Amino acid sequence: MNKITVHCTVNHKPVSVEIEPNKRLLDMLRVNLGLTSVKEGCSEGECGACTVIYNGEPVTSCCILAGQAEGADIITLEGVSVDGKPDVVQQAFIESGAIQCGFCIPGMILTAEALLMKNPHPTMEQIKEAMSGNLCRCTGYKKIEEAVALAASRM
Amino acid sequence: MRPFDFYAPATVVEALELMHQHKENVAVIAGGTDLVLELNERKANPAVVIDLKKLKELDYIRVEEGVVRIGALTTHAAIAADRQIEKYVRVLHEACRQVGSPQIRNLGTIGGNLAQSSVAGDGLAACVTLDADVTLRSVRGERRMKLDEFLAGEGATRRNILAADELLTEVSFALPDIRHTATAFYKLAKRKSLAISVIGGGMVATVDDNGICTYARMRAGALGRYPMPFPTCEAHLVGKKLTYATMLETLPIMHDQVLEANKSRPWSVFYKKESVQGVFKKVFADVLHQLGLEEVQE
Repeated sequence: MNKITVHCTVNHKPVSVEIEPNKRLLDMLRVNLGLTSVKEGCSEGECGACTVIYNGEPVTSCCILAGQAEGADIITLEGVSVDGKPDVVQQAFIESGAIQCGFCIPGMILTAEALLMKNPHPTMEQIKEAMSGNLCRCTGYKKIEEAVALAASRM
Repeated sequence: MRPFDFYAPATVVEALELMHQHKENVAVIAGGTDLVLELNERKANPAVVIDLKKLKELDYIRVEEGVVRIGALTTHAAIAADRQIEKYVRVLHEACRQVGSPQIRNLGTIGGNLAQSSVAGDGLAACVTLDADVTLRSVRGERRMKLDEFLAGEGATRRNILAADELLTEVSFALPDIRHTATAFYKLAKRKSLAISVIGGGMVATVDDNGICTYARMRAGALGRYPMPFPTCEAHLVGKKLTYATMLETLPIMHDQVLEANKSRPWSVFYKKESVQGVFKKVFADVLHQLGLEEVQE
């Protein structure tokens, strides 16, 4: 197996990663780049914990091979905060009490960020639809939806 | 994941040559929502993986001379967001809108859904309902056929007639004339999101100026290896005035057909022979609403 070199943009910086082709984008981000906010949950695209923003859209990084990310623009939770401070979505999650164990939260925040980048003033229905691919086993989702709405109100 | 070599060709021609060269043990990847999991669980162990995602030439939705042409790499999200598909091809819009989750719809492609030929593939059920054609390309050239012909597989290991070095490049179907034709799809699943179809029922119905049904096609996914046809139900409708009452008359036929076809699966047939009727009640109501014939109150 020949190693491949993947060139992409991660959190606004160009990177090149030498990696075995049988690694997923999830592995590349966590292991090779140390971005451990990207969580591995179900490993089969069913839980949304490994969600990253990929060319502007939320996707599950467990379903993408590292080599497929050539040329992609990727944002993880590490690329969201501003000068080490929480951004508007993160702040809204904190204030709304939307975080319990926290495992699903990086994916939740990135999905919300991707929604608000495209649609800064979503309806509650649009928020629920956008967040429907991220599972949380602690909360009842209500506070998460409220957090996204609160962030939207401050956009 | 077992080791493999990875190629990301820039053109379809280059991809076809690579597939031909490695056809003994090759896998192609588009959205990856099936293949990456199969690789990760070592259910698929190819020596070579070819990435198709860079083939932008296969990412399009075009309407040309009354024919809708969708490139294989068009994502479910792109189809669901397309205004023309939403207005004219409800069956496909509804099917693509509900696949997996937003993340999965951003990755998964219609070509992948058709080529995987999963029992519960919603894109597949919708396209079969539309009596769509698929285009297959290889180094030997191009062939085009009805999806029904494409799905002549040999069971679990070979789900369709796609050769190891052949690529499904396009799905196409006639643009419905929505003054006379309605299409609809209803997905029955355990949840609203992140759920696989328990039944995915689709219908195309055409009426003349007097509301007489001139064409009907009904298919449902997840009731058999391939989307199940209901020819007796269709024949019952053609030639009659299309009303909810007439459409309900097909439900006992549907019940018996699902029972007969799934006798060997007693754990699911008791539920499915009943629920298939509920699915098609929804489909019928939607068709009648779209054609402006009747508003069904439930």
